[in-house]
Formats: sequence, C-alpha cells, structure tokens
Amino acid sequence: MSANVKEISASEFEQEVLAAGMPVVLDFFSTECPPCEALAPKLDAVAEQFAGKARFLKVFRQGNRDLATKLGVTGSPTLLFFKAGREVGARMSGDDIKRTALRAAVEAMLA
Amino acid sequence: MRERYDVAVIGAGPAGLTAAIYAARARLRTLVLDEGIPGGQVKTTHKVSNYPGFPDDVKGADLAAAFAAQAERFGARIRRSVEITRHDLTATPKTLELDEEETVEARAVIVATGAKPRPLGVPGEQLFKGRGISYCATCDGAYFEGKDIHVIGGGNSALEESLFLTQFARSVTIVHQFMDFQAEPASVQEALANPRIQVLLGHEPRGFHGETVLERLEVEELATKERKTLRTDGVFVFIGMVPRTDLLAPYVSLAQGGYVETTESMETQLPGVYAAGDIRVKRFRQITTAVADGTIAALAAQKHLR
Repeated sequence: MSANVKEISASEFEQEVLAAGMPVVLDFFSTECPPCEALAPKLDAVAEQFAGKARFLKVFRQGNRDLATKLGVTGSPTLLFFKAGREVGARMSGDDIKRTALRAAVEAMLA
Repeated sequence: MRERYDVAVIGAGPAGLTAAIYAARARLRTLVLDEGIPGGQVKTTHKVSNYPGFPDDVKGADLAAAFAAQAERFGARIRRSVEITRHDLTATPKTLELDEEETVEARAVIVATGAKPRPLGVPGEQLFKGRGISYCATCDGAYFEGKDIHVIGGGNSALEESLFLTQFARSVTIVHQFMDFQAEPASVQEALANPRIQVLLGHEPRGFHGETVLERLEVEELATKERKTLRTDGVFVFIGMVPRTDLLAPYVSLAQGGYVETTESMETQLPGVYAAGDIRVKRFRQITTAVADGTIAALAAQKHLR
C-alpha cells in the first residue's frame, strides 16, 4: 500500500501495537473486499497527515485468523484504536468509513 | 485553478457509470465521484444472473469493473474514495469540494448515490456491527468458516447471499418475518434444496446479545408473540436498502422513504441536476433499471447543455 501504513502479522501485535510508543490505528483487511480497497487510500491519506503522531498498521485477516478471533473482529475492514497498550474509542467497520470521520477519530484518540 | 467539467456524476454504481459512458461518448467532459471503488451494490454481489448478456452468470465485482472500464475507455474520469465535503448545486456552474482540499466545477450534475443496506433497528445492532453482524457476505463470509450463522431477510439478496455463505458456514438459518419468501422462485428453490440451509419463517429479530462478540440472536415468533434466544456465531442482514440522499436533501423535497422524485427525463426540481438509479422514486430497483435511468439522465443532461 504505502510507506505510511505498515503491514504486520499476529506475532508482531504485542510489540508493534500494545508496546508501541505512540497511539496506533490497526486495520484488519481481507482480499476480495471492495470496502477494504475503498478504505486503503483514505487510511493512507490520514496516516500521512498524522505521521510522527500516530502509527498506522494493517493486518491481513486471512493470514491472522486467531488474532481476529481474539480481538472479536468479524468483518473487514475493521479499524481498532490503541493507546498505551489498550484499545480505546469505538471501532469503525464496514463500507462507509469516511475520511473526515477517520480523521476525527484519530484526533479524538490523540487529544 | 479549479477543474471544470460538463457533467459530474456522483456515485459510481450501474446508474452513474452508464451515465458516464453516455456522457463521455457525447464528448462531454465527464467526472465520476465515488466514496469507495466503482460498482455500487453490484461490486459486493457475489453473482448476477439477471443482467442480459451474461448467459453463465457474472460475478458482481467483474460486472462492476467492466462498467467502470467502459466509462474510462471513452474518457470519463473516475475518482475513487473521494468524499464531497461541500457542495453548491444551485450555483452556476455547480461546485463540489472534495476531501476539504479542492473544488471542482460542473455545468450539470447527475446524482446516482444509490442506496445502502437498511439496518434492522434492533437493540445491540450498532454494538455488534463488525463483531458478528455484517451486511456484506462477499466481504465477511470467510470469517465464518465452519460456523453456524443466521441470515435475516427473504428477498433475492437474502436467498442468493445465503447460498454464497454455505461455502463457508456449517449452517445458515434464514430468518424471515413472513411465511413466504419474496425472492424469485429460482433462488428460493435452490436455497431450500441446499442441505446447509435451514429456514425460520414468521420470526423477527428482537435483539442481539453477547459478551464482546455476538453470541445470541433473540427472535419473536409473530403468530404467538413467543420470544426465543438462538445461539449464533454471526448474523448477516439483507432486509432491503435505504436511499443515500444526504447530498440532495438540502435542495429538493424528498418523497416517502427518502426517495427523490424526478421527471421521466430524470430531472429533479433543480435545473441541471438529475437523479438516476436506486435513489429515485420508482417501482422496481434492478441493475437493468439503474442503467436505463443512467442512460436517460445523461441524454437529458446533454440536451440541457447544448
């Protein structure tokens, strides 16, 4: 996707998400998922805007099923927000995640 | 410098992309805007069997991509994942601000923003969306490999998508409020013959329950008013659509259900603004009727711009 959004796998979740030094936006995505494709450029644009303030990561659901199950993620795309090792805020999922709404959610997380 | 277009089409579903094909072939400078990727509802329909020209069915995603490719071949510009953050459809030319970053101008606007899945409006639905409740089988079906799931609805989408979900789920129980399905008989027959599909007729969802993910679906048997709680791993909701009229609502009065009234030429109450596809007041909302609307809107806009 881009330099602004890094893909991780379940084995890196602990270190990259829970132990991260800054807030994290984590995107569960799938293949053959038009809403995931639609979200990608929005996530990228927002990630660029918050570079240095929040980390933007994505995890491929089909390759990391156990992590999805553990976190109770049952749809793609799903965005989760983490701060200081804990999930915060409301998840965003489905096909109508707007760029302005995502930006507002990240701003709320950073506030 | 603002980009200027003859026609801006808002929404890249079958209606919008057909309008774009006709407008671009008429040598009108044509822009198509969509909040996601092109295809509208078709792109997440696993197979389409009633669109002429495809005797062996066609994957919805493939049909959507073909519509978009055809529009682009004639010079229409399609912008994906773009949000309209301000708009003035009464101005001359009409203006649209995109992603709070830039403004484009158009002499005519065709609104083909379509419809989105109707929520059930039942307690727990918002809470468990993405935690067991889904509105898109192609997107989320694979999450339910070997699971026991429920589908709510009794129309074509509910039956067709239930069949698709049997590829993953161990069992699919279709919960429908009426005692008969509204879907085409061909779909009903195929679904009922599938050993993984069960049906629960005359029942309506009343609530969703669980710890952190959905675990139980509460239903009411309408004849007896008896409530039952069913164990479930996931629920897919296909109970129809609601029109996306956020953009047009400030400019035109909406008819019952939020749909937009147009003339036979797809004109709205606002000069130079057309509506096409599922957003319109009409009796039947199909891919074939959407492409017809798109055709008419583009031809009418073309006449208007001359």
